[in-house]
Amino acid sequence: MQVPVLSRKSATQMHPVVLVSKSLALLIVLFWSALVIVPLIVLLSVALKSPTDLLNNPLGWPAQFLWSNFADAWNNAALGQALVNSVLITSITLLGLIVCGAMAAYPLARFTGSWSQRTYLYFVAGLIVPLQLGLFPLYKEMHDLGFINTYHGVILLYIAINLPFVIFLYTGFIKTVPRELEEAALLDGAGPMQTFWMIVFPLLRPVTATVAITSALSVWNDFFIPLIFLQRDGMQTLPLAIYNFVGQFNDNWSLIFASVIISSLPLIVLFLILQRYFIKGIAAGALRG
Amino acid sequence: MDVMEQTPIVIEPLEPGKETPVTRQRKARLRQFRVQLLFLLPALVIFTAFVIYPILASLYYSLTDWDGLAPTPHFVGLVNFQQFVSDPTVFINLRNTLVFAGGVMVLQNGIALLLALILDGFLRRFSFLRVLFLLPAMFSGLAIGYTWSYIYSPVFGFLNTFLGRIGLASWQQDWLGNPHLTLASLIFTNSWEFMGLSMVVFLAGLQAVPAELYEAADIDGTSGWQRFRHITFPLIAPAVTINVLLTLIGSMKVFDLILVMTNGGPGNASESLALRIYNEAFTQNQFGYATAIGIVMSLLILGLSMLNLRLLRKREVEL
Repeated sequence: MQVPVLSRKSATQMHPVVLVSKSLALLIVLFWSALVIVPLIVLLSVALKSPTDLLNNPLGWPAQFLWSNFADAWNNAALGQALVNSVLITSITLLGLIVCGAMAAYPLARFTGSWSQRTYLYFVAGLIVPLQLGLFPLYKEMHDLGFINTYHGVILLYIAINLPFVIFLYTGFIKTVPRELEEAALLDGAGPMQTFWMIVFPLLRPVTATVAITSALSVWNDFFIPLIFLQRDGMQTLPLAIYNFVGQFNDNWSLIFASVIISSLPLIVLFLILQRYFIKGIAAGALRG
Repeated sequence: MDVMEQTPIVIEPLEPGKETPVTRQRKARLRQFRVQLLFLLPALVIFTAFVIYPILASLYYSLTDWDGLAPTPHFVGLVNFQQFVSDPTVFINLRNTLVFAGGVMVLQNGIALLLALILDGFLRRFSFLRVLFLLPAMFSGLAIGYTWSYIYSPVFGFLNTFLGRIGLASWQQDWLGNPHLTLASLIFTNSWEFMGLSMVVFLAGLQAVPAELYEAADIDGTSGWQRFRHITFPLIAPAVTINVLLTLIGSMKVFDLILVMTNGGPGNASESLALRIYNEAFTQNQFGYATAIGIVMSLLILGLSMLNLRLLRKREVEL
């Protein structure tokens, strides 16, 4: 974002063609902005309407703001427990991903022998392969291990699925970190593990933020794995709880939308805080590939 | 996690004097290898157990009649693949998946490139626009699916009511219930959700284009289109490649959006391969056949990715 601003002609002497194309461009941006904002406003306004209000006045703002919809959705869809489950699963997965991913990326970035190159490719190949390919043997494996309907089973699965991208991001970043500091630490007699955690890992903070937000997004919003591996009552994550709730109350849009908002809000807030790291991570990740 | 704790850290003391330099070097290399392995072990174990092993095992299960319940599936050879070839609905699933993926690829990347060019130009300082355009991608497919199901719903839906109010009642449609429109409606919703991600990748590509090139072009008096055609587009070709690839892979796997919005209907007008695999396995208990469909789908994704990569990379070099 620090690219020098191009020298452009000042607005006073703008050519008519430039003026027209700029207005057109502005119009396109405004149109897409509206297209993004309107459905989100619909989401919020429907969540605040009573059923009769929704029927009589589908377009407008709610006649009266029915905040109790949120409480009703919270209670009827058992969102409290689902929120706890989602937070638990997402945060432990993130921790595991950061520990396993950063550690694995360190030798992959520092040693350039063919062995380490092949190991890197082994991991990164996981980016292309669809989950559906191994789904049924995976189901049997999880069943045989007694991992179905357990937190640790789903967490291990999420770590495995997200590792390729995390290792990819960490390896790329560690290559840009100078070696001098760690070499000094090794000469001072620190072991490799100690050197990594005390010296290298703190330098990886920006990419760790990227890993955190991109992985949180993929785990928090995932619906497929809980649908198959986490069906038991009281263990469901937010997307699954909402899916089952909609199955029961499929005509009450207000409550459905209230539950959708409750489930989406934590991640939206996290995104707004970490958006710089998110944008950087997506861009760097995509273009380095 | 236990793996890490159980693995002992092996650092052998060096005994200089007793060894020739060659064995010392070999020992040092072995120790370095052990240290590397120690760092890699947790990731290797978890990744191999839950990603690589199931993929390899699926090659075997696709040759069995496994129903998900029987402890010992029977080997049936290529029966599942024969069933695939003679299954008329699976070709509808295949067509739906390809139409959906192609539609998303064109629409999402088209809009994303257009908006990236604009945001990289005179709107560069309005960085909140990128955050706004990324916002839909932060919701789950489920959340977006429900929101747009309501917007598209035929009688009380937002879109039809809005069209009626502004005097375009003739444009009203049963957006998801009409078999000719349902895929288009799904393509639009999917592109709407993920457009911001593609745009951010294009923007990163655009920002890497050196300003001097544009200045030189300005001096030469080239038009805006010529500038785009001969400077911008060749230089952002890597971003085009990766975006085409990501949208292709992502949309070939589409599942939750379709499950929530149409559940494959009307009829099977919008049933994708991923949805079919799920139904075949978890409602029909045909795990062997479902795995065979999964293999075909994965080969298709791999093949199309390779083809795309080859075509687009060629373009990157030529230009």
